[in-house]
Amino acid sequence: MSAPDDRLLRKDRRTVFAAWAALTAATVLARFLSPGESQSATALGDELVAAIVVLGLVKCRLVLRCFMEVRHAPRWLRFATDGWLAVLWSALLVIYLI
Amino acid sequence: MTAPGTTARPRPPARERRLPGDADMWVMILGDLFIFGCYFVTYMVFRAMSADEFTASQRHLDIDVGVVNTVVLLTSSLFAALAVLAVREGASRQAQRLLLATGACGVLFTLIKAYEWHAEISHGHTIHDEFYSFYFVLTGVHLVHLALGLLVLGVAGRELRNPRRRRPAIVEQCVLFWHMVDLLWVVIFALLYLMR
Amino acid sequence: MTDTDAAPADEGAEEFGEPKRAGKREVRLVYWAFTVFYTALSVGICLLGRATPPPRPDVTRAQAAAWLYQHHLGIQIGFVFLLVIAGGAAISNGIIGYFMKRMSSGKMLAYAYIATMGVGAVPGFQVLLVCWLTATFRPDRSPDILYLLYDLGMLSYNGSLGCFTAAYTVLAIAVFYDRNRIFPKWFGYVTVWQIVTEILASQMWVHHAGAFAWNGMITLYIAIAIFGLWVACLLVLLRKAAGRESAHTPALYEAEGAR
Repeated sequence: MSAPDDRLLRKDRRTVFAAWAALTAATVLARFLSPGESQSATALGDELVAAIVVLGLVKCRLVLRCFMEVRHAPRWLRFATDGWLAVLWSALLVIYLI
Repeated sequence: MTAPGTTARPRPPARERRLPGDADMWVMILGDLFIFGCYFVTYMVFRAMSADEFTASQRHLDIDVGVVNTVVLLTSSLFAALAVLAVREGASRQAQRLLLATGACGVLFTLIKAYEWHAEISHGHTIHDEFYSFYFVLTGVHLVHLALGLLVLGVAGRELRNPRRRRPAIVEQCVLFWHMVDLLWVVIFALLYLMR
Repeated sequence: MTDTDAAPADEGAEEFGEPKRAGKREVRLVYWAFTVFYTALSVGICLLGRATPPPRPDVTRAQAAAWLYQHHLGIQIGFVFLLVIAGGAAISNGIIGYFMKRMSSGKMLAYAYIATMGVGAVPGFQVLLVCWLTATFRPDRSPDILYLLYDLGMLSYNGSLGCFTAAYTVLAIAVFYDRNRIFPKWFGYVTVWQIVTEILASQMWVHHAGAFAWNGMITLYIAIAIFGLWVACLLVLLRKAAGRESAHTPALYEAEGAR
């Protein structure tokens, strides 16, 4: 492995911080999408659940791509992780909606 | 693992394709993601079979505790990712401090989880409720992984303390495991707390 | 470590090639005994004894007795056969222990693996056989006792987790610390999954139905799939490791001074 140069390291550090900020923001946003204990006893609307699923998928992909550095990984790993994400979250959403 | 044909390069490429950590750790991570995926789908199927009971039970979970736990774990992952960058820079003292911060966040997560478990059990939400049986098993298996993660962070810390070793690859593998613990929690949080 | 050991053994091997090669033939023989035992185990437990996929945990005692009666012939043939070959478990532990002793992580872990697996075979295997054989050979006993044997067999078979958790932990530690690369590191991780599924099996003691009962999706089917994967990996890796054994491989039982 060649010695990493400063420019790339600074870029990586910025990416990591940006990913963390986006992840935290998405967590807080998802919290406001989901009703608290006091609200009506019915289940969530389908649109809200879809939004929660999309947020969850985006968060997982951010962790994989930015924290776990899959974005620089060989193609098979990018496909494998994306495939897991797509299959898992679509299965969860479909089962919830049925 | 690198691209073939590296004999003549007109200009340095933006970034080489390389596998973070090593292939063995990715066997672990992909396999674990698959196994947990099976658990998550099983949970969702059982939830679909008695959706009203599950929704009623889920209402007793405190979302805010879940949010705090998520942010704590995300922050620990931030520290872990920064630690890897520090190791690559050769700043191993800084990396050790960052790994310590990662572990501290992990311990904090465990304490919050223990508080939450205690609160749920003292409110009478035990495994006799179907949702709570899933809740305790999923969070419990996740906690086992978190404990393994703390162990793995210790391995990385030991690697950094020894000035003759300091192999970046070992630290990368250990941190990858920690990120996986974080990734699984992100799914569990959405599944148990949000999708009600 | 092996490299330095192999150098002096090289010259000796040419003179005494024959006895050493005979030793390696033993390894291959035990390997095949291991595969045959696991195949027989699967046939006996799954097809004849019907313990996997398991009967329902949420039945009444009359249903349990009826189930035992309905499958009594298969249980009797399969489990008597398994009782006869039960020693195969020891041979299976032996070959894994043999390769663990080749690891640089120390012999203590190999002994711990053999011991924990040996103890685990009693609740995880023998008790099931004995309980269900008693129930099928003494069908005239009270339904309450048959009901107890039905539960006891299944819970012991699937719920006896402590010894196996310890065995898998020891194996994983040995693989991670080994510098001789007897087993690849990823197999250590696969073994870690086994530990996690064994811990999950604790749930089947409290649940009578659902995903965590003894026939549950999570406690049984996913765990069985991981166990099957683990055994399949083990078979391939042991075969490879046995194939790598040559006349140059240092013998395990040399005089201590030669090491």
